[in-house]
Amino acid sequence: FSSSGNRVNSDGKPAKFQPPPKPVIIDKQKQREERRFLSPEFIPPRGRTDPLKFYIERKDMIQRRKVFNIPEFYVGSILAVTTADPYANDKASRFVGICIQRGGKGLGATFVLRNVIEDQGVEICYELYNPRIQAIEVLRLEKRLDDNLMYLRDALPEYSTFDVNMKPVSRLDHEEIPVNKLQVRMKPKPWSKRWERPKYNIKGIKFELPEKKMKAAQKWSQPWLEFDMLREYDTSKIEEKIWKEVSEELKK
Amino acid sequence: MMPIWTKSGKKHAVTLLKVQDCHVLRYVSKEESGGKTSKLLVGGKNASPFSKSESAMEIFKEAGVPRKQKVTTFNVTDDALVKPGTPLYAAHFRPGQFVDVTAKTIGKGFQGVMKRWGFKGQPASHGQTKTHRRPGAISTNKASKVYRGKKMPGKMGNIYRTSFGLKVWRINTKHDIIYVNGSVPGHTNCLVKVRDSKLPTCKDSNKNPPFPTFFADGDEKLPEDLYDEEVFQFTDPSVTY
Repeated sequence: FSSSGNRVNSDGKPAKFQPPPKPVIIDKQKQREERRFLSPEFIPPRGRTDPLKFYIERKDMIQRRKVFNIPEFYVGSILAVTTADPYANDKASRFVGICIQRGGKGLGATFVLRNVIEDQGVEICYELYNPRIQAIEVLRLEKRLDDNLMYLRDALPEYSTFDVNMKPVSRLDHEEIPVNKLQVRMKPKPWSKRWERPKYNIKGIKFELPEKKMKAAQKWSQPWLEFDMLREYDTSKIEEKIWKEVSEELKK
Repeated sequence: MMPIWTKSGKKHAVTLLKVQDCHVLRYVSKEESGGKTSKLLVGGKNASPFSKSESAMEIFKEAGVPRKQKVTTFNVTDDALVKPGTPLYAAHFRPGQFVDVTAKTIGKGFQGVMKRWGFKGQPASHGQTKTHRRPGAISTNKASKVYRGKKMPGKMGNIYRTSFGLKVWRINTKHDIIYVNGSVPGHTNCLVKVRDSKLPTCKDSNKNPPFPTFFADGDEKLPEDLYDEEVFQFTDPSVTY
């Protein structure tokens, strides 16, 4: 004896049976495993080098990571780096800044931190595997809309100033990394590079240029580039293999 | 090429050289070769035996070794002779030694005088008619001839060149890899000849090498990695001052 036969719509016609919504189960364990981060310097560049060279370099990198913790960070996160300095008072110097670029592959991987100290913009390029680095702390872990924040040099200085005594922002392990969709305001032109051109593909600038200039910049667009098959470099399988190798080694 | 750091925190660039299936092929005595010392022929990387004639394969058959892609000669004193057929390993060199590396440079093809010899060329404007990268004058009036060896355009690269006095920072005995300071002539994965340095300033460091060579089936058991004393090993904690 079901009561569904007695269901009536607001119009007076018999209503169709709507099943209850399915419960959504958020499996936190699975989420944590799915989010794997492989530091970009582990992925070998495309070339004719013997894979044995990358394997040996990776062994050295993993060895260094066992002794010294290199945390996960992205371009746009705020880091504090302490380096051993023979000419400083405490023999150690600490620099806080936003990571604007991560370059290099293998042991020579670098990252550039930018900050504005006493109205002077300062950028320091650190090597990830340099033995003189004593500590790398991530004060705020976040991503930005672009992979390369070099345009902060031509942006208003307020976007590059960070407090030197900033406290690390606490976050939970399984949370997704927040993407800061900040659109940065620029100083008046001329800039160091013509950031409005499509080759830089910048999404994080609030362009206040006239429409005519923006349209003229599109003249330098190369729409065929995304379809160029010779430039394709699919790293998904390589990343899988390297991720397995690295995570197994680090667990030992 | 890879970076390597010393214990004082300085960074040096290092080239990795792999010793791939090296065997001693033949002993040529002093009288036979006509030189001052006897020679040993050494062969590198294994290659296919089917593309060479029978006469060329004789050397490899005598030594009992597969055909090698590159064969070089080393001038050797009589007390350092090795029996033909013995394999040579990276442990023949030790960290702290100095080494000369010879290889064929990257071929650039037919090149002009500015790239090949570094000439300055001519200005781009101010009335220059069709002359921007030319050699200009090639001789004087009095000479009334062009001297032999005059620097002119031609095929550049693909010739043997040597880098002298390169320090060996590290040896990997498991994969037979030598970490040599600085850069080395040749493209990636090219065949290279590594020899004890003949520079007079490097004589002291080459005092106690494994003599005549390192034998894998001998009594000496080496660890997987051999480092120079100044090299920062990644098992150590960070450098402090």
